[in-house]
Parts: sequence; structure tokens; C-alpha cells
Amino acid sequence: MKGKGVLSVFILVIFGVFVLGMPQGAVAKKPLKIGAVYILSGAFATYGQFARNGINLAVDEINAKGGILGRKVEVTFEDSKAKPAVAIRAFRKLVYEEKVDFLVGLDSSGVALGVVPTLPELKRILIITHAATPDVTGKKCNKYAFRISVNLNQNVGAGARIAAKTGAKRWTTIGPDYAFGHQSWEYFQKYLKKLVPDAVFMEKVAFPKLATEDYSTYITSIMDANPEGVFISLWGGDLVNFVRQANAYGFFKKGYKVLMSLGAATEVLYALKDKMPEGVWVGTRYWFLANPSPTNKRFVEAYKKRYNAYPSYNAQNAYTAIYALKAAIEKAKSTKTEAVIKALEGLRIEAPVGKIYIRPQDHQAILNVTWGKTAADPNYPIRILKPMVTFSGEEVTPSPEETGCKMK
Amino acid sequence: MMETLIITALNGLSLGTLLFLISMGLTTIFGVMGVLNFAHGSLYMLGAYMCLQAMRLFHNFWLGLLVAPLAVGLLGMAIEVQFLRKIYDRHLTLQLLLTFAFLLILDDAVRILWGAGYHTVDPPRLLAGTLRVLGRPYPVYSLFILVLGPAVGLALWAFFYRTKVGMIVRAAAMDREMASSLGVNVPKLFTYVFFFGSWLAGLGGALAAPLRAIGPAMGEKIIIESFIVVVIGGLGSFPGAFIGAMIFGLFDAFGIHFVPRIHMAIPFILLAAVLLWRPRGLFGEEI
Amino acid sequence: MRVQGLLGILVLLALILLPSFLPIYFVLLFTEILIMGLFALSFNLLFGYTGLLSFGHAAFFGLGGYAAAFLIRDWGASMALAMLAGVIVAGAAAVLIGYLSVRLDEIYFAMLTLGFGMMFFTLVHQWREVTGGSDGITGFGSPTLKLFGLTLSLGHPVHYYYFALAVVVGSSYLLWRITRSPFGLLLLSLRENPERAAFLGVDVRRYRWFAFVIAGIFAGLAGSLFSPFDRMASPTMLHWTKSAEPVLMSILGGANLFLGPMVGAAIFFFLEHIITKFTTSWMIFLGAILVLLVIFFPEGILGTVVRRGHGKG
Repeated sequence: MKGKGVLSVFILVIFGVFVLGMPQGAVAKKPLKIGAVYILSGAFATYGQFARNGINLAVDEINAKGGILGRKVEVTFEDSKAKPAVAIRAFRKLVYEEKVDFLVGLDSSGVALGVVPTLPELKRILIITHAATPDVTGKKCNKYAFRISVNLNQNVGAGARIAAKTGAKRWTTIGPDYAFGHQSWEYFQKYLKKLVPDAVFMEKVAFPKLATEDYSTYITSIMDANPEGVFISLWGGDLVNFVRQANAYGFFKKGYKVLMSLGAATEVLYALKDKMPEGVWVGTRYWFLANPSPTNKRFVEAYKKRYNAYPSYNAQNAYTAIYALKAAIEKAKSTKTEAVIKALEGLRIEAPVGKIYIRPQDHQAILNVTWGKTAADPNYPIRILKPMVTFSGEEVTPSPEETGCKMK
Repeated sequence: MMETLIITALNGLSLGTLLFLISMGLTTIFGVMGVLNFAHGSLYMLGAYMCLQAMRLFHNFWLGLLVAPLAVGLLGMAIEVQFLRKIYDRHLTLQLLLTFAFLLILDDAVRILWGAGYHTVDPPRLLAGTLRVLGRPYPVYSLFILVLGPAVGLALWAFFYRTKVGMIVRAAAMDREMASSLGVNVPKLFTYVFFFGSWLAGLGGALAAPLRAIGPAMGEKIIIESFIVVVIGGLGSFPGAFIGAMIFGLFDAFGIHFVPRIHMAIPFILLAAVLLWRPRGLFGEEI
Repeated sequence: MRVQGLLGILVLLALILLPSFLPIYFVLLFTEILIMGLFALSFNLLFGYTGLLSFGHAAFFGLGGYAAAFLIRDWGASMALAMLAGVIVAGAAAVLIGYLSVRLDEIYFAMLTLGFGMMFFTLVHQWREVTGGSDGITGFGSPTLKLFGLTLSLGHPVHYYYFALAVVVGSSYLLWRITRSPFGLLLLSLRENPERAAFLGVDVRRYRWFAFVIAGIFAGLAGSLFSPFDRMASPTMLHWTKSAEPVLMSILGGANLFLGPMVGAAIFFFLEHIITKFTTSWMIFLGAILVLLVIFFPEGILGTVVRRGHGKG
């Protein structure tokens, strides 16, 4: 008697485990996995954090509406530590171990230069949302790399136009000592020379290492050389550090025409608050007040509600990248890499920053670029841009031939 | 031009002062205990973070300046008593490895406790402004550091050369066994010396907090710089730490101004030059 | 001895069969373990056998890596040529640095090698025009092997793994023979008691120099395997923090045993792999493990196991 009872319980248990353990019907599909690699530590950790915010917001919105092609979206984040070698390992881990379907990422241009050539091996699409070196959609372009954000060419192109109107003729630069800093200066000189033929670019320039702690001698050295205009491409934690230290040396009271190509990043403005001087021309890759469209208003409100801060460009770019992927996958009705590549090429979407068009020849997004002069405003806890100047993407983006991209 | 040179020199001396405080701790620990403390840079970093924490809790920089070095000193003492003490009789490399292990632990602990991003601390209102030096604006806080350094140096010199305790420490630094046979409680002395060295590192960190961004990578850079200072000055030498730090700071500042491309290499060139021509350093003993 | 030999063959067999039963991610992981293991073995020739703690060994690793990267990127060279270049460049640097460094002892030797290592780091980091500066050398094609007129691509992770395995096993065997030779035994005597060796008429400096150069050559070889694997050469390959890795691996595995550093490399990477699944803060665990090792197991993990295995624990 007892044995039979035990046996039946046993069978019931096995049966129960089987039923419960079975996949929930044929409707439940495998989640769509996205791998995201950003700087999550060090002086630029806030950039990674903001990208994460933007991605999480997009993913939650999309999943709430049923996901992409009925599949839930899952994101795995990895830290690039701003080092190309670390990023390559992270990408390999994401593709081979986590088995992600798509990749987004990259804050650092140096990292992008290292990673993009490995994409054909990994056979995954990477949508770059921050790294701005023109090369990844230029000399080193390949069909797997896309960029949804304003690149260095476009931002500096707009900056040069602003610089031309300031009347300053003798220019120097302070920029980080890697691809981004050097290329920013290179392109600034190129573009400004076209607009102001008698512009002079000084010998004395400053390229402190990324994450330099002490800018004091760079500051005094540049001031000693008496420039008329200073083009600053420092960004993130470096820019915050620099501005704080430069204030103490009276750098912003000398009448130089100062341009900061990434000065309008909200993380910088939040960190500095009223230590950011007024009257400086700053650029960004997305300014939350620039676009009055309902898409933007909705995004800014949702972001502010969830994270209690105004969205930075890194957040917007990452948010838009996820939506761009969604649009492309739905257009291609497939998640296969080759099909999505074709769908992304020529894609037009409406993003918070405005209308975006992904150019098929080099996979670079064409979109508006905004610069502005820093000003205090009682309605906002940070400096805002007043006046704002918006350049259309067509105006400031070099043609595909000029970029040197030969897509294979 | 002349003004710029003087301003640059001031920048260099400011850096030198911070380095002096840290190197002083490092060289004292080495001189008395024979331990090269790899975790010294992390202790400096902790000093900065402790100061940040104190600012958050008490909103008072001076309190932070008082509390932070004490906290770091106590932590150092704990490390010495619990771990370092156990391996004094072992090979030098094992001691190096142990302190290196603490570097790893402390650097990551800081990341866990305060996050991976960087933080900023404002200088106290009293020292927050700018002064005119030779007609140029110069941050008051940097001048404060410049004045504080030699003041601390003087106080330390008075301690080591004019007080009984100080002389005991110096004696132990020169000859541990002799000091022990004369009745000095060497283990206790070691603990106090390690406390003192860590306290100095924490003080350096707390002072550096308003100057630089506070982040988890702070310790890595400064440890190498302090090693170099200590070697240039002479391992175990107190005046060596001071002079070495000033030399380092000046070379660094003038390097950025005149030869920015190779300025990164200058400390290592100095290091190699000293080691190849006068390995004992400027004030060290014959080795 | 026989047990060791048998164990060795089993391990080798496992390594050969590895790609058939483990996913690509592990093939990549083991490739890295093998290469870094060779780097650590080369370091240990100086540390475990000659008693010299070098804190600049990564300079040779990095120089080998850059030399290989240049050749592959600019001349499409095959791996054989790239490795040769790596060995020559690293070896030349080791001849120079070694000559200057061995005049000093202990702490001063460590400091001087640190200084030289960082000088090379700065050179590579600052000379943007040639070395690409902090961005390094990137964008070179898949590594290739030219044999008997055929060009084989080593781009696939499994192919490169086998190539690296062959090179590392071969080099390790060479290094092992060196340590077993009269030269190797002499090095041991230098570690134990340099004064005595000097009294016996041994030119201590000269032999240390030889050891230094050999260590540098094998480090350069490891480096030249590494940059094609990573598809880039970056300045961090020469930084002092990279020099610290073989030190850690040798201690983890045991500096007194020939294969200790290789085992240490495996332990190092496995620890990282496992711990980073749960948290990004794995250094704190590594530090804690090191503390335990230094205090309780100074002979490293393999060293302690072997000693226990031989009887008196």
C-alpha cells in the first residue's frame, strides 16, 4: 500500500515539475539581446551612466508595448574603462558568451578606433552613440558600424562657423591627448581656414593626457601665449576639472573667445552649476531645449521624471539608438544582421533631437547640430544656452567622398 | 615672461608640497621598518575620500582636514598590526606583495563605497578666492598649500631632531637591532611609525581634495611619483623627501611648460639618472 | 616525477581537445592564458631563478607586441616574421636595459627597471605620429601563417588558439631546458647567495645580464603573440600595471616551480572570469586572496600542492 502511494506521489511530482518547467507555450519567444559597452568607471563614468539611463528608458518603453517583433528586449552592460583592449575583450564576451544579437556603445574615440575593425569578425552591428572620431564612418568604415550621433566633423564644422563670427584670429586649443583631441583641432583648423582665410593657429597648444588631475601649468602656459580664441575639446570630468581650476587663474576674464565643443553636456553643466562661466560658446550633441517637437517633450519629461535630471546627449543618443534598431528590425521583419544592415541604411526616424537620416554610403546619421552661449536662467539649476544656434545636418556634414569611406 | 616662470615655479612647488607629505610618510616607513609601502598612494586617496565624506557630514573643511588623516592613520595601524606584522621576517618581495595586495583592495573598496565616478570638494570659503601674484590671479588655496608644506616640514624636523621620541625613531631607522637592544620596544615603534606615515598620506589626500577631482585612480599615479621622489631624495632620508619632492614638482611644472611632449617621461629619466649615477639618492646613506 | 609527467601529458591532451568541447569564449580565454602564461614564465626566469624582481618586464612584452603589429599592419607580414621582429626588438631593448640595470640590487633594481619600463611606455604613448599614441595601433588584418608557400589564415579563434598553443608549448620547453642547464643552475646559485657565487669566481653581473636578456626575448615573443590576438597594440601593454601581472601570476602559482607562473596565469584569469560574473569589483578579491597567500602560502598554490604531495607539508 505504502509503496503504491509513494510511487504515485513520485509520478505526480515528476509530472508537475515537467509541466511547470516547460516553456510557457509556443508564444514565449527568446528575448532579443543587446550588448552595450560604455565607460562605466573613472573620470567619465557619468557618460556611461547616462547612456545606461537612456537605454533602460527606451527598453522599458518598448517592452511595455510588446517588445520588438513580439520579443522582449534585454540589455547587458560592460565597462570599456576607456581602454581599447578592455573594450575588445568586452565585445568578445558579449558576442561569444552572452550571445547578444546587436551591439551599441562607445564613448571614447580611441576605443572605437580599436573596436570597429574587429566588427567583421564578430559579425554584429554596432550602433555608435557617442564616439565622434570621423574615421569610423570614414577611413575605417565597414558595413557593421553605424553612428546615430553627431560626429566630430559635424560638431566642429558648426563650431568653426561660430568661431568665424567671433572675430578672433589667433587661435589655440586645449584638448585631450588622444584621437578625439587631436582630430578636433585638425578639423577645426581646416574648417575655420575656409571661412576665415587669415586665421592664425598658434604653435603653443595644450594636449594634457586624458584624466589629468592638475591643469594649472597648462592653464598658465596657454594664458602666457596670449591667444585671441581658445578652442577647447576637453570633455566630461576633464572639462569640469579644467573649468574649476581655470576659474582660479582668471582664465575666463581675459577676454578670450572661448569655444568648448562639448561644453553643453548636461553632466558638465550639472557638475559645475554656477562655476561654468557665462558667455562661453558651447556645443553638444543634443540640447534638451533645442527641439520643440512633441517627441522631444515626451522624452525630456519621461527622463526627468525617472532620473530627476535633464537628459544629456549621451542619454538621448543611446535612447535613439535602441529605437533606431527597433525601426530597422521591424522594417526588415528580421533580426538577422545582414537584413537589419540593409534596413538601417537610408532609415529615417523621428528622434528627440529631431529628424535623423542614416546615410547609406557611410552609415553616419545626418541630424541637426546645436551650439549656444552659456547663460544663467532662474528657471533652471544649470546654465542654459541663450542664444541657441542650430545648424542643419546637411550644412555641416561633409559629403561621403570627403570622409574617405569606402564601404566594402 | 618672468612672471610666467615664477607662476610656473609656484605651481611646481605646490605639487611638490603635496608630494612631500606623502613621500615623507613613505620614506619614514621604509627607513624605520624596511617596508616599501605600495599601498601608500591608496592611503593618500582614502584621505581625499574621507575628507569628502566629512564635508558631506559636517560641511566643514577644517574638520575634514582633522578627521580624515586620523581615520587613515588608524586604518594604516590596523593593517600593520593585523597583517604586516606577520611577515617582517620574510623576504622583502613578500612585503611588497602584501602592500600591493592592499593597494588592490583599497582601490576597489573606494569604488564600491563611493562609486566609480569622480567627486569634487570645494575649498573652504576662507581659502577659496584668488590673489594677485605679480599682477596675475593665483588661487589662494594653492598658496595655502605652499605655505603649509614647509610649515609641516619644519614641525617634522623639530620633532625628529629636537625631541627624544624623534631621536629614538631616527636611531631605529639607522640600526634596528641596536635600538632594540637598548630597550626600544621595536614592534610598538613600528606600529606608531606606520600610523604616522599613513597619517601623513591621509593629510596629503585631504589637502589635495579641493584641488583635484577625487576618483578611484588617484592612488595609482601618486604612488609611482612618490617612489621616484623617495629614490631621488634617498630612501629613508627626511630632508631627502623634502628636496626630492620640490625637485620633482619643479621639473614637472617646467616640463609641461617647455617640453610638453616628453614631460611624462621626465620623472623616469630623473629616476634612472639618479639610480645610475648616485643610487643612494641626494641624502641617502651609502648602499 | 612520473606522476608529474603523466599529469603534464593529460593537461596537454586536454588543451589540445579543448576547442571541441568548450565554446568559443573559453577558447579565447585559454589563448590569453597561454600567452600571458608565457609572459609570466619569462618573468620568473628573472624572479624565481635569478632572484631579481623586475618591475618593467612589460616593456619587452609591449615592444614585441608593437613590432609585430607594425609588421602585420604595414607589410602584411605572416606570424613567423612578426614574432621574429618582436623577439629582435625586445631582445635589443633587453640587452641595453639589462646592462644598465644589473649593476644594482634588490629594491634599486626594481626601481630602475620600473623607471626604464615607464620610459618606454611614455615613448610609445607620446610618439603619436609613429605609434598612434594612446590610441595604439589598430585595424590590422587577421594574422596569417606562411608555410611551404601556402598562406593560412589564423583569423578564426580556434586556429589562432592552436597556433598559440604550439608556440607556447615550444617556448616553454626551451625555457625549461634553459633552467635545467648548467646556466640555469648557476642562476639559482645567484638567487641563493650572490656573494658566495662571486667568491667562487662567477661574474654575477654578467650572468644576471644574460638572464635578463633571455627573459626579455621570451617576453617579446609573448607580446608578439598578443597583439595579433587582440587585433591591436596599445600603450597599456608597457605600463607598470602590466608588469605587475606576471609578478602576481608567479606568486599565485608558485615562483619556485617551473610551471608555477603558467598555473598562476590560469588561476588569475579564472578568478577574473568567475568573479566578474557577480561583480565588477574583482580586484578586491584578488587582493584578499593575495593577502591570504602571502601570509599562509608563500609558495603559491601550485608550490604548496607540490610540497604537500611530496610528504612533509
